[in-house]
This record gives sequence, structure tokens and C-alpha cells, in this order.
Amino acid sequence: MANEQIFVGLEIGTTKISVIVAEARADDQISILGVGETPSRGVRKGEIVDMETVTECVREAILDAEDKTNVEIGNVWVAITGSHLASFNNRGSLVLPEERQIEQEDLDAVELNAKEVAIPTPNTFLHTILQAYHVDGNQNVIDPLKSEGALLEADFHIVHGIKTRIHNTLRCIESLKIGIEDVVLSSLASAQVVLSQDQKNYGALMIDIGGGTTDYLVYIDGAIRHSGVLALGGDHITNDISVGLRLPIARAELLKIEEGSAADPAGSEGGIISLKNDPRFLGCDVDRTSLDTIIHLRVKEIFELIRRDIESSGEGMLDLIRGVMITGGGSKLKGVAQVAEEVFDIPVELTRARNVSGATQIFEDPQYSTAIGLTKYARVVTKNIAPESMLDRLTQGLGSLFKKRSR
Amino acid sequence: MSSPSRRILVGVGNAGVTVLDQLSVEFPALTGLLAVNNDSDSLNASIVRDKIVVPEGDPREGFLAIDEEFGRAVEGASAVILCGGLGGETGSFLLQALAILAKSAGITTIASVGMPFSFEGKHKRDTAERALEKLQEICDAVVVIGNDQLSGGSPSTAAIGEAFVLSDRALLTSLLTLTGMLSTSGPVKITRADIHHVLGKPGSLTHFGFGKSDGANRLHEALEKALKSPLLALSGKGSALKESPMILLLLRGANDISFAEMQAAVDKIEQIAGESCQIKVGVHADAPLGSALEIHILASSGGAVRKPSKASESGEFKERIGSITPIAPIAQARTKSTILPELQVHEGVPSGAEADGKGVDELFPVPTKPASKTGKKPVATSKQMQGTLALDTYQRGRFDKSEPTIVEGEDLDVPTFLRKGIKLNPPSRK
Repeated sequence: MANEQIFVGLEIGTTKISVIVAEARADDQISILGVGETPSRGVRKGEIVDMETVTECVREAILDAEDKTNVEIGNVWVAITGSHLASFNNRGSLVLPEERQIEQEDLDAVELNAKEVAIPTPNTFLHTILQAYHVDGNQNVIDPLKSEGALLEADFHIVHGIKTRIHNTLRCIESLKIGIEDVVLSSLASAQVVLSQDQKNYGALMIDIGGGTTDYLVYIDGAIRHSGVLALGGDHITNDISVGLRLPIARAELLKIEEGSAADPAGSEGGIISLKNDPRFLGCDVDRTSLDTIIHLRVKEIFELIRRDIESSGEGMLDLIRGVMITGGGSKLKGVAQVAEEVFDIPVELTRARNVSGATQIFEDPQYSTAIGLTKYARVVTKNIAPESMLDRLTQGLGSLFKKRSR
Repeated sequence: MSSPSRRILVGVGNAGVTVLDQLSVEFPALTGLLAVNNDSDSLNASIVRDKIVVPEGDPREGFLAIDEEFGRAVEGASAVILCGGLGGETGSFLLQALAILAKSAGITTIASVGMPFSFEGKHKRDTAERALEKLQEICDAVVVIGNDQLSGGSPSTAAIGEAFVLSDRALLTSLLTLTGMLSTSGPVKITRADIHHVLGKPGSLTHFGFGKSDGANRLHEALEKALKSPLLALSGKGSALKESPMILLLLRGANDISFAEMQAAVDKIEQIAGESCQIKVGVHADAPLGSALEIHILASSGGAVRKPSKASESGEFKERIGSITPIAPIAQARTKSTILPELQVHEGVPSGAEADGKGVDELFPVPTKPASKTGKKPVATSKQMQGTLALDTYQRGRFDKSEPTIVEGEDLDVPTFLRKGIKLNPPSRK
């Protein structure tokens, strides 16, 4: 395996389709060679609703990326999201016939055991991600291979979703004669570049606010404890503005980006925002406090739903020692961090892809966290590195998925 | 057998008895079933407890031999639902005769009948059509199942046995839907006047759909199943709902049915049926927690337009804005005694001991719980419904046609400030 590899990440988002072509360097850095992009049509709330249109958009984005990078794209890593995705934690256990050294096949067997749970019939497993091994009640064994024991247990975070909807994404790409390396939960991809190893180890919540969905992921003790997809995003904010202030969607979107703030309207500067005439829109005066109220209520509600979901999964906010990291296009909205702090009551940081370099400055834009994260994920999964950190152990858990999918 | 104030399902002829058998297999707790047939062998094989054997031979003489027994069996019932296949001599005649008997005893009488398949021949079809005409004159409501509809217009590929199974299934579903709609559990009721209004037109075809689901996305799954029902399709013309002037929609399940779910269902139906269609919604939230959500849709298409019944014409019924008309407030505003006489005066049948809404729901005995115990937003009570259904407070904007995001029973596509009732300053146009 060459030390320098090229990975392509494809994110079919509600707002845009982005293709990131990146090079994984020997020093473990991801270097972006270029990005292809088209505005997305036919995607709603992160899910494909119009196959043909989306396929055409993906084709354009891929061509765009090939143009800009001079790389011929053969295989891609694809991000997937949508409210149909669900997750839970489960423990698998395996009693060894006698006290002996634990082998790779034992690790495989314990993973299979953890997956022996009923998920709804239309669903299929997307990820089985290792959290920790326990050998004979000895908690959190980093690498049980070759250690001796009679009882092997392992905790997994399991993600599943509706088969047909996942297939839609795959079919759309395959129809372009492009191979799929793997399908990756969007939040898992983003977390690869947004969270540092330190944050994963001490506990952090990552929230990726997209156009159609908000994806989130909780890391504690270096392992994923919870993940979720909320079919609410920037589009909802725009829609709320459009309904509340009776503006066309496009005008509402512009107003959100240029003037909107999610911060508590009690502190709003108030006054009037004058919207000018344009050929398709008769100008009007908008009350700033009303605009801020609309955005604040929606953003706050999104965070409250996430907090409730995480707490009902059994994790407390105080376990998230490194706080909340917010990324995604929605994080560019003014005042988002303030609302998040208000709701989660722990430190909040707006963030974007890190440990990334490249010819374009695109990695500085939080909109591309997922697509860039895909290339990092690809690097981690395909690389065979010394089994020292928890992240690497994680990799093996994911690796088995990789094997399963490419079969 | 004649315990007072209940609904009785009467299976007539082979088809009717088969359906009752299936019903009692699937819902063993079901009471108030009565099998009537002149085929004593098939009747003996039936697991329905109460049976009336009609002597074989001329159906008229047979009927005279059992009319008193039947009269006693349905005595004091509040509603009789007759079900069977039309076209055969027995079914066609007995259904009419029993309907007259029940109706003249002042009992709300509804018939659910299957029309013959076209491959069963013209003679049978003619007999069936004549019988149907009569039944529609006699009964308060008639559910007509065009068996040809069931096979999706291409019976050639279906095994004959399969076709009959489908037709039995459809009859069975119609009984479930009818009994569901007749039940009085609430919180949002469908009145008999509504049922009569939808089904009382002569010559019309009845359409219904049924779906249930208990998944996370239960409303959509159930609604999709219900809408895919072959009986909601007009051959070659798409959904029958498009041609229905009025549609009854019933949501049935545990008391966690949310307002958002109800609204989403109404929206979907309205999208298909068009805005000029009247949609009547009922919600029966009385099943034990964790029960699947059932969706029943009942509509009719075609047929002569009967002189509109008073029940649907008068008072606040027609005054309502928009096409969505919540039923509960009406049911409450109009007392039982005002609805029924209208129904009966219109039908020209003297009023009996009938009383609308009197314990007619022993079919699915479930404990009644107050709707708001779970601490969640209470399932729409009649008052809330009127307030919340005012159309200008309900907007999903660009998400109007997309799958709703429902979390904790709330439709989150509706702007947060609307759901929280926050007042904004409107923009001022230059």
C-alpha cells in the first residue's frame, strides 16, 4: 500500500452536493486536492426524493471535481443521513470453552453476538462500532487479542436504517458507473475531522447543523456513546422566516444569512430592516426583533430536542467534559453558540475540519466537515496502524463493516 | 342473545358466514355475531355461536320460517350490519328481507355487500344490481364492494381462489371500518349522520382503505397502506378519493395519537382528494398503550345525487370554513335526539327504541382512559380542535408536501413560533 493515497468523499446534502478529493499523506494529514460542488435538487431532509435529478446533480459535482483536480474518480466514500437512521448500544458476550488466548475469530463472534437484536424488518445494520472490550470482568481492555480469559464481552454502538432508503443513495451513484467504497453515517464522518482525540477521550458532543438535517454524535472515553439524526435544519429556519414574515423562500434565505441571529431576541438591537425592491420582489420593512425571535425559537428547540434525546439515552451533560462542538452550514448563523450554551450549559465551540491542509481553503468552511471527514474516515479505515490508541481499535470495528459491505 | 343496546353483525349466505368466521378467528373477543344461511352444512362448520338455519328451498318460504327468530335476535340492538354477497338467490333475497325487518324495528341498518366478479356471468350481475338497488332504498347505508376492483382490473393472473379470498378480506375490512366508525369512544366521533351521508347514495360505489402500523413512523406507514388499498382505486382513474364529495377518516389507537398525526393524515387526504372535498375526522384513542395505529378511510364515488339529507344540510354543518370539519363539536352541539329523527324521517321509517351512541362498541372492548394522562399534549379534544384547525394558524410552508418531521408527537415542520403561539410584528409593505 502506497504511503500516499487518494480518497474521494461524496456528500449528497439537502443544500449542496460536494465531492472532496483528498490525499492522505504519510504524516497522517489530509490534504485536499480540490472540491467539486453543485447546488442540490431532489433531496429533502437529507434523503433522496427525486432519483433522476439527484443523479444528474451528482454527475455534475463529480465532473466538477475531476475538472479541478485532474483526478479520475473511480470510487467514492458516501455519507448518509436521514431521520430513518436509529442507533442503540448493545453488549455482546462470548464464553470461551476454556481459559485460553483470545483470537481474532473470538472478537468477530462477540460482534456477531451483539448484533443479535431485533431491528425493524425494513431496516439493515449500517455500523457496528466498538466501544470497549471487557475480559473476565476486567473493564475496558484496549486490546484483548492474545490476552487470556474465559469470558469476552464487548460493547457496541449500533446504527441501523431503512434498507431501501440507503439503497437509493447507492443506486444513484452506481448508475453513474462509480464504485462505492463504503457508506458512512454523516455525523461519524464529520467527527473524524471536527473532534480531536483529546475531545473524544474526555467526552464531547458534536452537532452538525445542515440544510435538511441536524446530525449529532456523543463521544465519551474515546468511544461513540450515542448518535442521532434530527430531520430539522437550516431549511426549517428559512421556512419559518418565510411563513412568519411572509417572504418568498429565496428572500427569507438571504435575510437569514445577512441579518439573522439566533441569539435571545431580548438582546436584539431591534429596529427595522429595509428589504429593497428587486424584479421579483416588492420591498418591505421587516421588524428585526421578529426575525430574531423566529430564528431563536427554532434553533433553541433543535438544541433542546438533542439534549433531551441524549439524556434519555442515559448520558448526562456533565460527562461531556470537552463541551459541544458545532459545525455544518447552520453553525455560521450568528448567535448559534450562545443559544447552545444556554441550552446545554457546558462550553460550546464553533468548529470546522482540523488537521487538514490543501490547495483550497475550503476546509475552513464548516459546510464541508462531513465531506472532508469522509476522506479522513477512509484513511483511518484503510490504514493499518499500530494498535495503540482507542481510535485504532475503533477502526477495526469499522473495518469489519468495510469487509461486509464490499462482499 | 338479545342483550340490549349493542351492534349486531349478521353474516348472510356463504360469503357472509365465511367473513364472520374469519372475524371471530382474528378477534376472538368479538361478540354480537349472527350467522344466517340456508346451507346447514356450512352453518354447522361455522365457529360463530349464534346461528339461524333457513330451511332450504324457496328463499321466500325459508325467510317466513325464520323471521320471528331473527326479530328476537336483533331485538333491542342499536345497529345491525348485514354482510354478504349479492348475486346468488339466497344472499340477494335474504339480505333485503332481513334489512326490511331490522329497519322496521327502528334499528339503524347498514349493509356491506360484495358484488359478483364479472367472470361470474351477466345473470348474476343483474340479480345483484337489482338487489343492491333495493338495499339502498331500505338501509341507512350500504357499503358496496365491487369485486372486480379488488383484482386491480386484471383478474386473469390471479387464481380464482385468491380472488375470493381477497373479496372476503375486503368485506371483513369493511366490517372493521364500519364498527370502528360506529363506535362511540371518541375523543373525536364520527356520527351516524356522517356515515349515512357518505354511504346513503343509491348507485354509488363505496371505497375504503385500512392500514395499521406501530413503527416509529406509524402514521405514514398506516396511511400508505390504507391509501394503497385496491378498494380506493377507480379502474384507470387513479384514486377514488378524487371523486368523493365527502370522506370519513378514522384514526384508532392508544391515547398517544397526536394532533400532528391527525393533521398530517388530513393534509395527505386533502392533497389527494382536493380541497373541495369534505373530510370528516374521527379519533378513537381508547386502545391500550402500545397498540398499533389504525387508519380507516371511507368514501363513495359516482351514483345519483340523492336529495341531500337534512343532517348534512342544516345548521352549522355547512357553515364551516374550509373543507375540514371536525366532528366532535357537531356531535356535541346537536343532541342525539336531533340527529336521529332526521335520519329516520328522511328514510320514512318510524323511530324505535334506538338511541345514537348507546353502548354500541362491545366489539373491541377496551378500557376508557382520559386522554391526557401521559403528560404529553392531550389528544385533541373537541374544543382544542376547533381552535387549532383554524387554517391560518397552521402552516408548514415549503414542507407542505414532504414527509413530516414528527418528534414526541409534534409536527416540527410547523414553525416553532406558531406552535408556541408567539406574536410577531408583520412586515410593512412599501
